[in-house]
Amino acid sequence: MKMTIKRLVAFSILLATALHFSFANAGEGAFGWIYTLDLQPKGKLEFEQRLQLNKQQAAGTYDAWTARTELEYGLTNDLQIAGYINSYYTSASQNYTNPEACGDSSSCTGGYGVPSSHDPATPYRKSGIEGGSLEAIYRLTNPVTSPVGVGLYLEPTWGRNKDEIEARLLLQSNFIDDRLVLAGNLVVANERLKFIENGNVPESMLDLLVGASYRFAPKWSAGVEARFHNDYSELNLHNQVQRATFVGPNMHYAAKDWWVTGAWRYQLKGGTCMGGGEAECSNARVWDSHSVNEFIVKVGFPLN
Amino acid sequence: MNWKPNPLFMLGLAIATAPIIAQAKIYVSVEQAQQILIPNKSLIKNPIIITDELQDKMRSASSIRHPFQGDRIWRAADGSWFIVDEVVGKHEMITYAVALNPSGAVTGIEILEYVESYGYEVAEANWRKQFLGKTAADPIKLNQDIQNIGGATLSCKHLTDGVKRVAVLYDIALKNQALSLKAK
Repeated sequence: MKMTIKRLVAFSILLATALHFSFANAGEGAFGWIYTLDLQPKGKLEFEQRLQLNKQQAAGTYDAWTARTELEYGLTNDLQIAGYINSYYTSASQNYTNPEACGDSSSCTGGYGVPSSHDPATPYRKSGIEGGSLEAIYRLTNPVTSPVGVGLYLEPTWGRNKDEIEARLLLQSNFIDDRLVLAGNLVVANERLKFIENGNVPESMLDLLVGASYRFAPKWSAGVEARFHNDYSELNLHNQVQRATFVGPNMHYAAKDWWVTGAWRYQLKGGTCMGGGEAECSNARVWDSHSVNEFIVKVGFPLN
Repeated sequence: MNWKPNPLFMLGLAIATAPIIAQAKIYVSVEQAQQILIPNKSLIKNPIIITDELQDKMRSASSIRHPFQGDRIWRAADGSWFIVDEVVGKHEMITYAVALNPSGAVTGIEILEYVESYGYEVAEANWRKQFLGKTAADPIKLNQDIQNIGGATLSCKHLTDGVKRVAVLYDIALKNQALSLKAK
């Protein structure tokens, strides 16, 4: 069956709704992209569905949807493991304007997920199952009982478009009866991109994510989060090619039996490309898989 | 920004996030808790005004920033106290009651309302009985004289801090009131 975004969304909703009504019981994820140290307790299983849309690049249209269907399990009170299935839908048309990428044309089709063999004069559209990921988070100190919560995160991913190993240092401090959460993630990833012709292009990434979330009313939290992003054209953070900053709001609702989080981040102007990565920059912003606006919606509910 | 939400997506999101009729899980009413903690004694409501100074002292002793309300305090003829308070839970407030003997030692606690996904274990008698006999002179601090329950850390911490501030309330305000009543 051909996978379309409608089918992908419909499937996610069906699964989420079915589990929602049959198991109705809440976990947590107050930020859009930042991981916190609020883990599943020992023996508890949670279903989580994420849907992200990266929208709008330099021109034309660029819609990159990614969906993650996830199960999280508390192996101990301080060790959470998870596994997820990743799906994608990419629709790009005349989204690049940089002459390095487009040559004599004023715009062309390109970006993350668009194979280098694709005719840049024509639109590109593709969807499917991207692959799967495993995840482990180990909490060294708990922010509820320590001034600073510290955790380690490791996530290997196997996919059609890329294989990746991502590591994070998770930091969190709570204030005002644990209603104000300040969190930060230092993210390092090594990637092998597969959608480019020779099929094995190394990249690496260094991100700093920081944010604050405040529970302003029972069940409701809101905050802001920022991403300071750095891309490198070789493994192990060698030869930097991109630098960009994103910032935006988040909103979180959590009840006893379920929770939902929505967040938006906006790429500020001032992003730069360097070291041979110029083709992916224009209008003072960076592209590749990035866009002007990035949206995420996550829904979660405990299964036991 | 050209954001056209997919109608199917919006419909699904609405269904998936429609509030389930999540009834607050009430363990016991105030009256029931009074009967459990201070049985066969008539209690007279004894509200007190919580001055800023008292609030500050209770805050520094317990680290709780959520304000204490002084209108849910009862007193028995023998000088026992019954106090209802609330602390911040993971998603909502946790309401609980503390009974003190005439000398301010904890004789029992009851969870009145708890509406969280996890951590119901704080309502278990074994965890609550750790507080018996504690006074403001004790640390009443999680991982010191009160054991934590893994997976219920936030509820354990806030309830422990809550009992501490009730004990401190007795020490700073209720004890003096009891003494002045005796003097009369």
